[in-house]
This record gives sequence, C-alpha cells and structure tokens, in this order.
Amino acid sequence: MRKTRALQGILVSSLLLMAGYATAFLPGGTPDWGVWLFLVGTSLIMICTMALGAAKRDGAPSLRGLFGFLFFLLVGGFGAALLLPAAEGPGSTLLLGLPLRAAIIVYGVGILPVILVPIFYAWTFPALGIRQGDVAKIREAAEAARRSTGTE
Amino acid sequence: MTLPQTQDLPQAVQPLIVAVAVGYFLVVLTIGIWATRRIRTAGDFFAAGPGIGLIALSLSVMSATLSGFTFIGGPGLVYALGLGALFIILPAGLTNAMGAWVLAKRLRLLAEVRRTLTIPDAIGARYRSPLAQGLAGVAILVAVVGYMATNFLALGLVISAIFGIDLGWAIWLGMGITLAYAAGGGIVASIYTDVFQGSLMAVASVLVFLFTLKSGGGLGGMSETILANDPGFLSPWGALTPLAALSFFFVFGMGSLGQPHVVHKFFMLRDPLRLRWYPLITTTALVVTMLLYFGVGMAVKARTASGDLLPLALADHATPVFLLNYAPGLLAALVFSGVAAAIMSTVNSFMNIGAAAAMHDIPVALGRPIRHELRWGRIATVVISVAAALIAQHSGALVAFLGIFGWGLFASTLVPALAIGMNWDGATRAGAVASISTGLGVTLVFETLAFFGAFTFPTGVTISGLSLVLSLLVFFAVSYWTRNQAAQDLDPDIRIIMEA
Repeated sequence: MRKTRALQGILVSSLLLMAGYATAFLPGGTPDWGVWLFLVGTSLIMICTMALGAAKRDGAPSLRGLFGFLFFLLVGGFGAALLLPAAEGPGSTLLLGLPLRAAIIVYGVGILPVILVPIFYAWTFPALGIRQGDVAKIREAAEAARRSTGTE
Repeated sequence: MTLPQTQDLPQAVQPLIVAVAVGYFLVVLTIGIWATRRIRTAGDFFAAGPGIGLIALSLSVMSATLSGFTFIGGPGLVYALGLGALFIILPAGLTNAMGAWVLAKRLRLLAEVRRTLTIPDAIGARYRSPLAQGLAGVAILVAVVGYMATNFLALGLVISAIFGIDLGWAIWLGMGITLAYAAGGGIVASIYTDVFQGSLMAVASVLVFLFTLKSGGGLGGMSETILANDPGFLSPWGALTPLAALSFFFVFGMGSLGQPHVVHKFFMLRDPLRLRWYPLITTTALVVTMLLYFGVGMAVKARTASGDLLPLALADHATPVFLLNYAPGLLAALVFSGVAAAIMSTVNSFMNIGAAAAMHDIPVALGRPIRHELRWGRIATVVISVAAALIAQHSGALVAFLGIFGWGLFASTLVPALAIGMNWDGATRAGAVASISTGLGVTLVFETLAFFGAFTFPTGVTISGLSLVLSLLVFFAVSYWTRNQAAQDLDPDIRIIMEA
C-alpha cells in the first residue's frame, strides 16, 4: 500500500472513530450503527498505521495481502461477536475451552496475529527493513546533505 | 500498561515469600551497582551509550510495558468485568510489529545521524522545532510524575503485604531501592534490571497460568463452571458495552506508539539488522507474561462461581487471594516478587525519561542546554522520585487520578507528531505543535472535570480515546492548512531517514 493511501486511511478512520464516539451522546446511547462505525474505524486505523510504516522501496514485496487479511480478521472477529446471537449459558458448546463468540475474539483477534504478524515482519525485513550497508550509506548521505545545507 | 493500583492487598508475610523477595531485591541492587560503574557520559545515562543487544531490548520493552497492573489490577479487572477486560491486552499481537514498522527503524537510523537521547529530541529534529520538543518534554514530565506516584503507591502496597511493614515506610523503601540503581546506573541499570525482572515475570506468569488450568479442570472446566452461574462473564464484551471494549482496543493499540519509556529504547539497539526478530521475541515475551492476567481472573471467578471461594471484597485481591489460598508456596513467592519486578521495571524507565525531560528536553527547548547533563540527570532523578513518593504518600485519591491519564496523555501528545510525523513528509511543525497541545489540553481538562464530577462522558467514551482521536484530526487539519511549510520543516538528513 502506498503512503498516500495509508494516510488517507488513517484520516478516514479517525473520522469514523470520532463519529462513533459522537453517537454515544445520542438519546438512548450508542446505536448499533455507531458501534459499527467505531469497530471499522479502530480496525482500519491499526492496519493503515502499519501499512504507513511498511510502505517503501520500489520492488519490495507487497504486504497488501497481509494487511487485507488482518483488516478482515479484526472487522470479521469483532463483527461476528456483535452479530452472532448471545448463546452463552449452561451447556454451551465450547471451542478450545471458550464459548463461540469469546473464542472468536480471543483466538481469532488476539492469538492469530501473535503468530502471523511477527513472522511476516521477519520474512519481509530484508526488503522492507534495514539491509547490510544501509546504516553506513544513510550516515554518509545524511552527512553530505547536512554539509550542503549547513544544518546540524 | 498501567492503571492505578491503590487498594490494600492481603498480608502475605510468610518466610518463603520474604526470603524470595529479599533475594530479588539483592539481585536488582547488584545489577544496579554493576551498571553504575559503566556510566561515564550523559549518553550512557540516558541512551545506553554503545547500545544493547536484541534480547535486552525485547525483554526491556516487555517489562517496561507491563506494570504491576498486569499481575494485580488486570486479573482483578477480568474477575470484575469478565472477558471485556481482555480488550486492554488484545492488541498485543499487533502492537510490536506496528511499532517496528512505524518507529523502530526510523528512530534507530535517526540515532545514527543525530545526537538523539530522547523522544522529544526526535520530535525536535523531525520538525526543526524546539517548541515541539519542549511541549513533548512537558507532556512527558506531567505524565511521568503521576505515573510514578501511582506506581510507588502500588510498590508500597506490595512491599507492605510481603514484609508486613507500614505503608508509608514501604513506599519509601520501594522508592529508595529503585532510585538506588536508577540514579546511579541510568538507563543501563534500567535495561539490565528489566532483563532480570522481565524473565522473572515471564516465568512466574507461565507457572501460575499452568497452575490455574490444572487446578480449575482446564479452560473448559473453568468456563463450564462460570457459564452455569454468570454466562455474561464469558460474553465477548463481558460487563462492558461493545463501544467501551473497542475503545480499550483502540487506546491500548494505537497508544502503544506513543509510550516514550518503551519506544525510546529503539535508539539503543546495537545492531539494527537484528530488528528483524524484535517483534517475534517481544510479542512472544509479552503474551507469555500476560497469561497470568487472563488465567487468574478466570480461576478466581470459577472458584467464586462454584462456591469454593466467597466473592472478593475488592477485585484487586484476586491474585493475592488465589496465590495465598491455592498456589504452592514457592510459586506464590515468585509471583509476589514478580509483581514488585513489574512495578519497578516500569518505574525505573519513567525515572529516566522524566529526568531527561527536565534536564535535557525542556532546557534545550528554552535555548538553555545544561552543561553537565549526567550530574543534573542524576539529581533530577532523585528530585522527581522524591516528589512522586511524597504525592503517593500524602495525596490520597489524587494518586488514582494522576495514574489514570498517563497512558492517554502519552498517546494523545506523541502518537500523531511522532508515529505519523516520522512517516509523512507532509506533516508540519504547526501540525505537531497543535496536536501535542490538543492532547495535553483535552486530557488534562477533561480528566480534571471528570475527577471532580463536574462532567462525565457517556458510557463507552474514554477521555484517552477521545483526546487521541482529536489530536490526530488536529494534526492532519493543521498540517494541511500549513502544507506550504512542510518542506521547510524537514532537514535533508531527516528526509533521507524517512525515505529509507
């Protein structure tokens, strides 16, 4: 994702978050659609902020697939918790020790990114992160730039 | 991750617990003495001089992130609110990789080309703005004193529970031990004690989590017991509204990018190529150490639901009551020392960044840099610590108030200007100054009004979340209005780093 798109996403998600908070002031409290505004806003801002930091270098592998999947995971996980019927009670079917909606949040939104995201970060680091020789090059370029402009 | 811990804990004066705690304090002091001998310059004191390794960075970030709240307040919150309390720790799977993508590389490269000791230094360099640097320093100093007061009180409560001494003396004892190594050894002492403290926290957390599973019939067994009595506890939002739970996720997710005691450690990694494994190691350590947060909350709820344990008078008693009544003695001893470790590892980082704000960032912003920063840094560490301990001892409910807004104040003042600004060449000095001022003003005004009951927001709206959103919007709006200035606010060497 390009930086411009990521920045637009952060701006849009900030507006969604503000709108979500604003709906809490409506008579009767936050309506369902107000929660959805906030849900999409909070998912989008996290993903776009990561995309902003990862956006760089021509020819680097695209992380669009990862960020798209994470956005789906967050919106889908939180959305499922909102949309699925509240069926928790004695005799509920448990998924890995938790009722279905709780399991979606804990394992889907909480645990799956723990495994997935750091591995993707490490995998793409040679292209997106710092490469051998980068530090010396940047030090030299910065020194040259400072000399040419007289900044320190 | 720090929310106030201000309630008394049950007494835990047992020979084994006392012995392990004494051993813990001796190890910490030994590391402090070793570190003090390595300090020669202000760069060593504030930014670990020649740098640190990846494991030290990861464990130090983990233990600075997690305060005593993870071991005491957090499990209590799970016990009281159900699964909704997990939304505070739920973003942990994303936050370290996010911090690495957004900040780690840029801050580490910045340290190569500029003398950056602090996060306000980075902001000042990014925008060529002493004003932005000074405002960031003021925000940090305000939040740090409050945070430290809350943590000293929490440390005092833990020491009082372990040794059975008066709370007042316990606060000063805890402050004195932490100060002894932080004032001498600066960030070097802080980081290497963090490594020890973080390891202790992780081991204690895993062992307690395994014990809760074993004693509660597994996670399924605990869930079945709870579902029979209080099904709402295991709903995804627990006792919170969906908006409140999601607001936690937003504040503790995005807010992680603005925690100066954590992100300033990115300056210090000796070999920047090792950043590759930083998210994996730090996230694993963080998640492992937070198992206790979830496990003890569930276990205590299951025991009260089954009638095995009376409902707790105070939610914060969940961990001590569970340990003292059900856990083996050595495990209880490890966790009580682990709680002290969690608090001290956060406090020593605050001491360092608070001293840096007072003796480096604010004087630089005023155009009056201090000549002997090392000496004055140590003096400032002592002064700030004593002030925070006095507040902890004498201000009553004010301590809780001061502790509440720390995370939100850091987030709303630093996330836009630092995290977005280091990645967007269109951000301007005016945008940074306006967003830092917005975060500072909104947080202080509304937290004060809320504290005195003059104004409260509707359910689900948190002041920290609202101030972060407002600060972001102001940052974008003012940067857009002053966009003609953007190129002038960016030095060429900083642009190279931002484009790297």
